[in-house]
Amino acid sequence: MKIRIVPRVLVAAAAALAIGATASAQTLTMAMSAQPDTLDPQVTSATAAFQVGKSIYDGLVEVDQSGRIVPALAKSYSISADGLAYTFELNDATFHDGTAFDSADVVATLGRISAEATASPKASEFTNITSVVPNGDHAVTVNLAKPTPALLASLASGWGAMLPSEKLAEGHDFGNEPVGTGPFKLASWVRDNAITLSRNADYYQGAPALEQVVIRFVSDSAVQYQGLSTGEFDIIDTVPQAQQAAVESNPALALVREPSGLVLVAGINARLPYLNDARVRRALNMAVDTEIVLEVAYGGGTQVGTFMEAGSPWYPESVTPFAFDPEKAKALLKDAGVPSDFTIKLVLPQPYPQHIQAGQIVQDFLRDVGVNAEISIVEWGVWLSEIYGGPHDFGMTVVGHTGKLDPSGRLTGLGTDRNYTGVVDDEVANWIATANITSDPAMRHSLYSQALIRIHDDAPFIFFGTPDRVYGKKAGVVGFWMTPLLDSFDFRAAHFE
Amino acid sequence: MTLTTSPTAERRRGLTEREVVSRYLLIQTVSFVITLWAVLTLVFLAMRALPGDAATIMGGLDASASQVSAMRAQLGLDRSLPAQYITYLSDVAQGDLGASLRERRPVVRVLVDRMPVTLTVASMAFVISLVLGLGLGLLAGLRPGGTFDRVALLFTTVALALPEFWFGFLLILLFAVQLGWFPVLGLPPQGLTLAASWHLLLPAVTLAIPRAAQVARLARARVLEERSSDYVRTARSKGLRPWAVAKHIASNSLPGTIPLLALELGGLLTGTIVVEQVFGLPGLGATILGAIGARDYPVVQGVTILAVTVYVLVNWLADIMQVVTDPRLRVS
Repeated sequence: MKIRIVPRVLVAAAAALAIGATASAQTLTMAMSAQPDTLDPQVTSATAAFQVGKSIYDGLVEVDQSGRIVPALAKSYSISADGLAYTFELNDATFHDGTAFDSADVVATLGRISAEATASPKASEFTNITSVVPNGDHAVTVNLAKPTPALLASLASGWGAMLPSEKLAEGHDFGNEPVGTGPFKLASWVRDNAITLSRNADYYQGAPALEQVVIRFVSDSAVQYQGLSTGEFDIIDTVPQAQQAAVESNPALALVREPSGLVLVAGINARLPYLNDARVRRALNMAVDTEIVLEVAYGGGTQVGTFMEAGSPWYPESVTPFAFDPEKAKALLKDAGVPSDFTIKLVLPQPYPQHIQAGQIVQDFLRDVGVNAEISIVEWGVWLSEIYGGPHDFGMTVVGHTGKLDPSGRLTGLGTDRNYTGVVDDEVANWIATANITSDPAMRHSLYSQALIRIHDDAPFIFFGTPDRVYGKKAGVVGFWMTPLLDSFDFRAAHFE
Repeated sequence: MTLTTSPTAERRRGLTEREVVSRYLLIQTVSFVITLWAVLTLVFLAMRALPGDAATIMGGLDASASQVSAMRAQLGLDRSLPAQYITYLSDVAQGDLGASLRERRPVVRVLVDRMPVTLTVASMAFVISLVLGLGLGLLAGLRPGGTFDRVALLFTTVALALPEFWFGFLLILLFAVQLGWFPVLGLPPQGLTLAASWHLLLPAVTLAIPRAAQVARLARARVLEERSSDYVRTARSKGLRPWAVAKHIASNSLPGTIPLLALELGGLLTGTIVVEQVFGLPGLGATILGAIGARDYPVVQGVTILAVTVYVLVNWLADIMQVVTDPRLRVS
């Protein structure tokens, strides 16, 4: 008897494995280093929330693979000549709860993000809206007090997600139980562990190929790599630098390297003596070989000379990165009367090992030109409240500014004391403020260019550059892509080959 | 912090069993409330002494100062500290732990979601440290200086000297990476399921090893003490078989380890914070660390209340267990 049982068990086990294999071919598992705080797109500013939200929600417009804003839930849109009215023709789409998407949803969604009670961190992007008027069920006009060329960018970003009006009226908890029109529905969310998304068969652009997407939260990049190499993960969002060559040379895996939307900088606090002198800030730029900083701390990228990501159409052609020239830096520092024992406090944010490493490299370079940087590492909450905001208790600090679809998102606040660097330049502030409400694209471009050229000369930052976005996947995973500038995950066309 | 009283002391004053028990319960309850209040006040103040609040962190790099203050008002963080403190204490007194600022749902739901992982790891670790610790201690103590005793001594020395996260990494490297018997990541995407509970064995062992060593040391010392008692000598001289003698030694010496076990059990909760990080487990440890980072005050306070309650309960349980296992402490 016993002898007979063994093969049966084996057959059963083999069958179970086979079923497991077919099921997993429909399931894609991705490891993600951060995790969302909430899935309510209107009450967060966390990139991670929008990276995941991209699969659950849709906006009226979205960003395509080349970075252009294209129609999404709106099948088309038109802008009035004065730039004060945006009219959207809506697609037929259905929310995950079965209700149809219509103009009432647009009205309710835009009403909620602007409402004081919502306290959305993105509310200011919608303050120019005076009214949202439905024209029947399938068209809507957004009226503005001032031309707001950035409106489409806001609507294409994660926080422009459309929500169902019925659920909004009920005060539904979108943070934990999201309801959108997106290609996937939330199946389960175990915080600090994983989010499971299941296919939305009724997706208005056609159902996605994958049955299920599992997003595992794995903050340790070494563990991510381990999971990719053992087959536990199909995609990992960060590949440790030391393992990039191994991923590239493994025929079963693929390394994807593409430009990110980040601008990496060391912000300089111009409220302090000597640092308030533009000559000193330019000298600090010349003292640091930013190519080395990018290569060693961030795994490679492209240098920039102003506060705009490399490759952006807004990046002024005339601006080149500061050349590494320690001798010239020393001369400039001497010119500015900087004492030989000049010491600055270099504050680095604790949850970002890359910024900490970059800071240590900067410290070495500065020592070579006679500037002593004392490193202090602080927790993220402390960094946000004491360094970036509040008392600005720092001489220099390293951080990355995430990509924005419209330059207004990146530049607003520069030239004013609201910016953490404290470099006040009314002209810069004015150019930016004017560009933000200028409809004419050429005029807008020239205003931002002027500002960006001045920002290069004033050097409120040591400009490092734009790092590459490096992620790894199994070679058989195709059709997955990350939204340019926003870094959102797009699984709609993803499948296994 | 806890005001303790032992049933023995009460018994000596000639009170009836009922009186002893009700007095004991009353004093314990009062001391629990005072402890909880003191710890909560400390955590309340410590969290608010940290720079930054939930609104600053949610606002991140992009939100303007006015947006951050709007968020602060919406979260109720703009009210004065005494006002927040009084509201919070009165809510807690009514059993309302508030809502998470980050997750925007009741703290109780957060705790109920996260507790099973931590409790499973902690109880598995407790059983392992109990069996391993008492077993090692007993066997080592019965033959002091023997080979087993030396091996046990080596184990306890190493186990106590090394930090527990180091054992965690070692176990992951050996059993998950090299042998592939366990997944590298703690739990499947669905979280803790019955089928996945064996995934928690490595973290439980990690947590249990140093605690087992401590229990083993104490148990060995107790056994050695008991071995030199007169009754053991008498029993031996009367020709009682060694296992029967060992049984007597065990039943008389092991109850002495209960207070230590209770302390260990309380310590397991804090120990899981580290171990959950090493194994990437979505338990209370990850919750409290995430909540501190996000300045999610109600969650930090909620986990604290839970931890204090468990700690006090375990100590009560230990008191009762001691009475049950030690006949000398029983009221006639």
